[in-house]
Amino acid sequence: MIKPRRLENAILAGPLVLFLLAVLGFPVILSLIYGFSDTSFQTLSAPRFSGLENFRDVTTDADFWQAAGFSLRFGLLTAALECVFGLALAVYLAPLIQRHGWIVAVLIVPMIVAPAMMGLMYRLVLHEFAGPLPYYLYHWLGWSPSFLGPRNVFATVVAAETLQWTPFAFLLFLTAYQSIPQDMREAASVDGTRPWRLFWKIELPMMMPTVFVAMFIRFIDGFRVFDNVYTLVGAGPGGSTTSMSIYIYETFLRKGEIGKAMAAAILLFVSAFVLLSLAQRMLNRADR
Amino acid sequence: MKRRMGLRWLVFGVAAFVMNFPVLATVVTAFKSPGEVTRNASLWVHAPTLDNFALVLTISDRLNIYHYLYNSLAAALIGAVLPMIVAFPIAWAMVRRGLFRQVLFPLVVNLRALPLIIFAIPLYLMYAAVGLLDTRLGLGLLLAVVNLPLTLMLLVNAIAEIPAELEEAARMDGARLGTLLIRLVLPLCRPALITTFVFGFITAWNEFLFGLMLTTRDAVPMTVGASFFFATSGGGVQWGVAAAVMVVAALPPLILGLIMYRRISGSMVAGAVKG
Repeated sequence: MIKPRRLENAILAGPLVLFLLAVLGFPVILSLIYGFSDTSFQTLSAPRFSGLENFRDVTTDADFWQAAGFSLRFGLLTAALECVFGLALAVYLAPLIQRHGWIVAVLIVPMIVAPAMMGLMYRLVLHEFAGPLPYYLYHWLGWSPSFLGPRNVFATVVAAETLQWTPFAFLLFLTAYQSIPQDMREAASVDGTRPWRLFWKIELPMMMPTVFVAMFIRFIDGFRVFDNVYTLVGAGPGGSTTSMSIYIYETFLRKGEIGKAMAAAILLFVSAFVLLSLAQRMLNRADR
Repeated sequence: MKRRMGLRWLVFGVAAFVMNFPVLATVVTAFKSPGEVTRNASLWVHAPTLDNFALVLTISDRLNIYHYLYNSLAAALIGAVLPMIVAFPIAWAMVRRGLFRQVLFPLVVNLRALPLIIFAIPLYLMYAAVGLLDTRLGLGLLLAVVNLPLTLMLLVNAIAEIPAELEEAARMDGARLGTLLIRLVLPLCRPALITTFVFGFITAWNEFLFGLMLTTRDAVPMTVGASFFFATSGGGVQWGVAAAVMVVAALPPLILGLIMYRRISGSMVAGAVKG
């Protein structure tokens, strides 16, 4: 009886395992080969082993560290802003949403638009002559900053990312807020607790796990950002908006330094993996 | 009480306006003639015109938008359906037999958190070797990888909610495992399958990085095709036309998303909480 069951299990797992091996297993081997060899597009089929040379190239490249710094700052800042705005919106609008559920649909539109499209749309919005935002700023204030200039570009991409993904945080917090038992609130209001105290003492502590989850997901997404930043400003003035993903992309396709790009990707993978395990350990501990 | 609701409406209005501002500006600009774009950058159109859309939807040497739309459609369909096919049987084994939960499940689910660029380069080299570069199938396979984690999670959740007694009853009647899965479990999972499909389709349609790296001409998807209109080659960007292209490109996921917004938001939350 044991044997047919084993066969059954193998058949059940087969499709997924084969798929993973084909699209991920093989590339992992490839990236290890190329990461440790000296390769360009011309010598693609004959990689020459070069030890840790690529890793030395990457770690001594000032641009790599600038990209790492950008991704880190961008990820932390956007995650924090999105969580603050999302939480405020969810808690403040919850009574309205209880009666008019459709307003959620209006608020999540930015999430359904492709990030790459959003970046292009901001190109239009911020354009000196065709863009509505500079138009109205000139109209009312007689002045408009250069949004994509070296001084403001970081703030601009942070704002664009935050405005697109605040709805995600909003959605998570709304669900968490709505699942707080109603009798807890009623008990508090019988005691005469003010809404502010209710929020700080009862509601926020109950939503803390969601705050961690939202922060973590948004940080990961911000850290690996590519689409919207790339379509809005590319690498930015003087490379100032080069994220890790953009750095690897440019090293690979623009400069053709395959080994170096691969080494950077391996470093990125290792740091993402370490981060992920740490976060999971923290979440598990919080659960207990 | 009435006044407080009024303030809430105001906050909602401002938040919706600010967050949707780029979409609004794009829709408005799409109805402006080239002359009006240069003269009037406001959100009000004095002489609305459909010329931009007419131009975009006509096939010309410079642009065949149907080509991009078809590429996106084909790749997104592969990217949404394939993960369901490979994940469904193993999801059942994970729930009913408790198998593969130690290694495979966390492995797949954590794929979601990794930067896509890590896969893009080795896959580019692999595709170059097997001739999958610049094909809709090649792009679709990668989009399937992107969708796999959430698909697996949603299917595991859905199967766990089916009462085990139903399956046991069918087993008593002598149904074989294959029949049981296809005739009983699959139909019972239909709501989850629809959600998974819509979510996967939108994600795949909106993907940009893989399209940019792995396609050059034949299989260029809509998101990448739209960005071509912003390449300032001589004469600068034609904002009206570019805006019309973006409206067409963003419409399919928006329509799907707004029809099913409850399911979409539900699965986003489920994906976040279980991860």
